[in-house]
Amino acid sequence: MAFYEENPGQIAEADIVVGIPTANEAGNIAGTAARVDKGLSEYFPDLRCAIIDCDNHSTDGTREAFFSAPGKASKLYISTEPGVGGKGRNIGNFFEKARQLNPKALVVLEADIKNLSPVWVRNLVAPVLKGAGFVCPLYERHKYEAFLSNSIVYPLFRCLYGRRVRQCNNGDYGFSPKLLDLYLNPPFRSELVDNSGIDLWMANIALASRLPIVQAIMGAPKLHRARGRFAELPVLFAEAVGTVFDLVEVYEDYWPQVKWSKPTALSGTDLQEVETPLPPADVNPERLHEKFLEDFDKYYRLWEHVYGSIVARKLQEIRSIGFQHFSFPTQTWMTILFDSVVAYREMSPSEKKDLVDGLLPLYVGKVLSYIKKTWRMSLQQAEEYIENECMMFEENKSYIVKMWTKGERG
Amino acid sequence: MSKILVVDDEEHIRLLYSEELKEAGYEVITAESGYKLLEKIEEEKPDLVVLDIKMVDYNGLDILQDIRNQFYDLPVILSTAYDTFKEDMKSIAADFYVVKSFDLTELKKKIAMALETRLPD
Repeated sequence: MAFYEENPGQIAEADIVVGIPTANEAGNIAGTAARVDKGLSEYFPDLRCAIIDCDNHSTDGTREAFFSAPGKASKLYISTEPGVGGKGRNIGNFFEKARQLNPKALVVLEADIKNLSPVWVRNLVAPVLKGAGFVCPLYERHKYEAFLSNSIVYPLFRCLYGRRVRQCNNGDYGFSPKLLDLYLNPPFRSELVDNSGIDLWMANIALASRLPIVQAIMGAPKLHRARGRFAELPVLFAEAVGTVFDLVEVYEDYWPQVKWSKPTALSGTDLQEVETPLPPADVNPERLHEKFLEDFDKYYRLWEHVYGSIVARKLQEIRSIGFQHFSFPTQTWMTILFDSVVAYREMSPSEKKDLVDGLLPLYVGKVLSYIKKTWRMSLQQAEEYIENECMMFEENKSYIVKMWTKGERG
Repeated sequence: MSKILVVDDEEHIRLLYSEELKEAGYEVITAESGYKLLEKIEEEKPDLVVLDIKMVDYNGLDILQDIRNQFYDLPVILSTAYDTFKEDMKSIAADFYVVKSFDLTELKKKIAMALETRLPD
């Protein structure tokens, strides 16, 4: 990838390199860069640190705002060509530039984190310096946040790759130079990865790498611009789910050998004060139900074709339940996800898009079911509910292995 | 034969677990506290640790962090009288947990699962 570069300090080497992908983030980047700098200087005063703004040729003054941020760490600005967008492309450029600096630890952080604490930088970097390959944060989350993670990513990753990493798709990670080399020579990249699929792509490669993984307790919720609202959900869903499904095939020699799952080590366990997250403002069960019903007829034939008549009948039954008693059984959801993964492999690009588009209303139904089931539960009880669902995925792993192998023969 | 290290400050629990797990075909060693536990693990190389959470002088969740940091893939099953420990995020570093009971069916099931867990090299 070719990128434009400004390196005013002519930095040639750095021990810790932090990348912040941006696209018109003039309002946020200076504050984020300053807080990252504070974390680096406070916790790693003896190491050479660099912060790289990996930009999408922003026109709102992001570059100027970045360089204006106070701090001691060296600052570099790199950008895609004008008109070339996508978070994944920014991060791809970051990988290339960071490799030239020969770092000992790398971090990627989103630009719009409003409450980024310097200690978060410590929690992401320190485990890498001690030998971890990948560090994934554990933010405090409300039970009605991160539905994609709760319903798809966590159960599938855990079942397929055998690692219990709870918040894989949050866009903030620490990682080692060894993992950087895997990212620079990836087994797979796609248009989806060049955009928002990059987060799950990074996590997925880490999970399949067998490098030591650490989850970093952050002790607070991540406050940032809300993503995944209804208007942008289809695109984000397609990029995330498509990336996960694509990588299942890439790692088809790996995941069938995995049995059950293992926890990871933790960092940040010394954080004493834990903030309770506020409920997200946009949880609207009635609207979710409408959305589920709205697309039902549009995709029913596709579902019947991909998931078979038994699941299709079950879906009709779910539709007929009505809002008050709405329930989407985990068993049905698991079968749908497993069948989707298997069917996706053999499909043309347009069929793949249809499959993922058709999965969206079912996902919405599953989210609604989760909300209704956990309505009176505490966060801890809701987490246990998800853990039990994950166990069901693990207990039924032989199903997807069998279907996948059968597909190979057929 | 898989070797299991039982860490518990109550003698009758250590005895109960030892007898039942030996009967189930495991080799069992015990420790009555977290004192020099990491050295013991290094020396004895158990295949799995059953760890009491509340011991008189030691917090099992802190020991769990130390084990996880030093013996990354070693399975650890938390054993506790109460499940309130789940409020502490540190507990997620355990493979499983069991509530202490004289019926060890659940513990044996979790031990079997933890020992079966496989990640390719």
